[in-house]
Amino acid sequence: MGRRVDIPDLAFAGFLLALGGLAFHLAGELQIGRAGEMGPGYVPRGLALVVVMMGLGMALRALFAGGRAFPAVAFRPLVLIGTAVALFALLLPRIGLALTSAAVVLCSGFAAADVRLRENLVLAVGLSAFAVALFIIGLRLPLRTWPW
Amino acid sequence: MDLIGNLATGFSVALTPANLGFCFLGALIGTLVGVLPGIAPITTIAMLLPFTFTLPPASSLIMLAGIFYGAQYGGSTTAILVNVPGESSAIVTCLDGHQMARKGRAGPALAIAAIASFAAGTIATLIIATASAPMAWLALKFTAPEYFSLMVLGLTGAVVLAHGAPGKAVAMVVVGLMLGLVGIDVNTGAPRMTFGIAELGDGIGFVPIAIGMFGIAELAVTLGRPQDRTLLDVKLGSLWPSREEFRASVPAMLRGTALGSILGVLPGGGAALSSFAAYAFEKKSSKTPERFGHGAIEGVAAPEAANNAGAQTSFIPLLTLGIPGNAIMALMVGAMMIQGVQPGPQVMTSQPELFWGVIASMWTGNLMLIVLNLPLIGLWVSLLRVPYRLMFPAIVLFCCIGTYSVGNSAFDVGVMLLFALLGVFFIKVGAEPAPFILGFILGPLMEENFRRAMMLSRGDPMVFLERPISAGLLILSAVLFAVLVSPALRSGREKVFQE
Repeated sequence: MGRRVDIPDLAFAGFLLALGGLAFHLAGELQIGRAGEMGPGYVPRGLALVVVMMGLGMALRALFAGGRAFPAVAFRPLVLIGTAVALFALLLPRIGLALTSAAVVLCSGFAAADVRLRENLVLAVGLSAFAVALFIIGLRLPLRTWPW
Repeated sequence: MDLIGNLATGFSVALTPANLGFCFLGALIGTLVGVLPGIAPITTIAMLLPFTFTLPPASSLIMLAGIFYGAQYGGSTTAILVNVPGESSAIVTCLDGHQMARKGRAGPALAIAAIASFAAGTIATLIIATASAPMAWLALKFTAPEYFSLMVLGLTGAVVLAHGAPGKAVAMVVVGLMLGLVGIDVNTGAPRMTFGIAELGDGIGFVPIAIGMFGIAELAVTLGRPQDRTLLDVKLGSLWPSREEFRASVPAMLRGTALGSILGVLPGGGAALSSFAAYAFEKKSSKTPERFGHGAIEGVAAPEAANNAGAQTSFIPLLTLGIPGNAIMALMVGAMMIQGVQPGPQVMTSQPELFWGVIASMWTGNLMLIVLNLPLIGLWVSLLRVPYRLMFPAIVLFCCIGTYSVGNSAFDVGVMLLFALLGVFFIKVGAEPAPFILGFILGPLMEENFRRAMMLSRGDPMVFLERPISAGLLILSAVLFAVLVSPALRSGREKVFQE
């Protein structure tokens, strides 16, 4: 039964419906106005409606268009790189650029299937020093170097 | 002002030591990312965007432009030596360029690729200089309805030229338009779709979106694929092409330049499309099509000329109309707006140094590239031996620092992460991010012009069809769209993308 469904298209349709629905709801609180004198909500609401309609159309087609499975997702790079970015956002304001850079490089480095621990450590220290030299000393970005 | 005077203004800007330096830096970085597979020029431009904000507008655009056309040069090196396109517009160069390398003609293939790029770059610079003035003059007649219709045409072009299902590309454009409207409404001051988050008052940041989708997301997907970088152990030999090779490639270069220049200007066009079309054209028009795929020099010369010409002429709609034709140009619009330059026809009259300076820098940049490429080819090749696992953590780090530095905001880094995840989702379901970013950039502009036009016409939508230029643009969009959904073209389009 599930074989007949185009999963990627259905997923995209679901995304459109969710986002369009949310936007329609949010824009609903805004003043709509008239065509000759549009309020702030006129265009967003119209676009949200189009998105929802397209989502509906795509969902219907995906249900009957025939089977396609969702393509394989390589979770290792996705999770590790995502974590590295989140680490950056959380750590930088607290512990400064030097340690944050090292943590980001260490974490994202493991996303490669052929990662080597010692090489990754050296890379983390090297890139951290490079980032401090380039961005704080060179480009004078207003960032802290150390936690203190 | 006449052409000579304009170019003189331009060169007086482009030839200052600082701008020569930024041009060189851009060309160098461009070549580097062009050579390295897995790092696209759009990733690089997105990543470096925040760091150009402190530069003067002209310098920053000169450098970013250098990255774009520099990558067209670099991409061919990897294509010829490794049979892996360093960059999407070099895909067809693999076909014959690598075959030439296998036959011991790697040197001439590289030389012809560089010469073709330079010749095309020079001609394209002249085309931009001559075509821009009349284009901008025409654009000065544009009012709100014309601008709106022009943007419709631009977005239609982006949909027509997107890979994959057209329905998805249209949906991506509309989603982009919608997300572009988040933030305070300029006409009424009402916050729109912000969830009451103060950071979203100015809209969703362009930099976090661009870096998330084109930097981090691409990277995460690339890492999931097996890496293949077996370097062909070729002897470069002499770089000089033989007399026959030279004679065969000159007309091919000119044809490639002409085709590339035209396709670059089209909405949605640019480097990759130009090189595909030029290769197909050479093969079809050749008296000996069977030679293609086995090391025909025309198959290197034409696409390499075309991608460089296309890369450069895609600046025409941006510089004269303020409308980006492809995703990279959308990033350029972002760069201009953050610099406080409102893209549009008025740039040419209000800031001639910026306008002509960028154009003139394209020629100096091309000159630098031919110097960078031919003698330094050994250096670029050795760079290919650096494993990807040593490069991508640096990209992740620079993307984070870049995003953070725009507003010293960890919130922006969070937004970037969100759009990186969304970007991976889009790639996996086969929806291209390029139409999205175009929609996002054009969203606020389109809404403003739409509202203004409708206000002037007192709510009568016929205004878009009553004005001749606007009607013409809309009819063109409709024709493009009709052709897109017609089955005959669809199969042809798939064939082009498959080759």
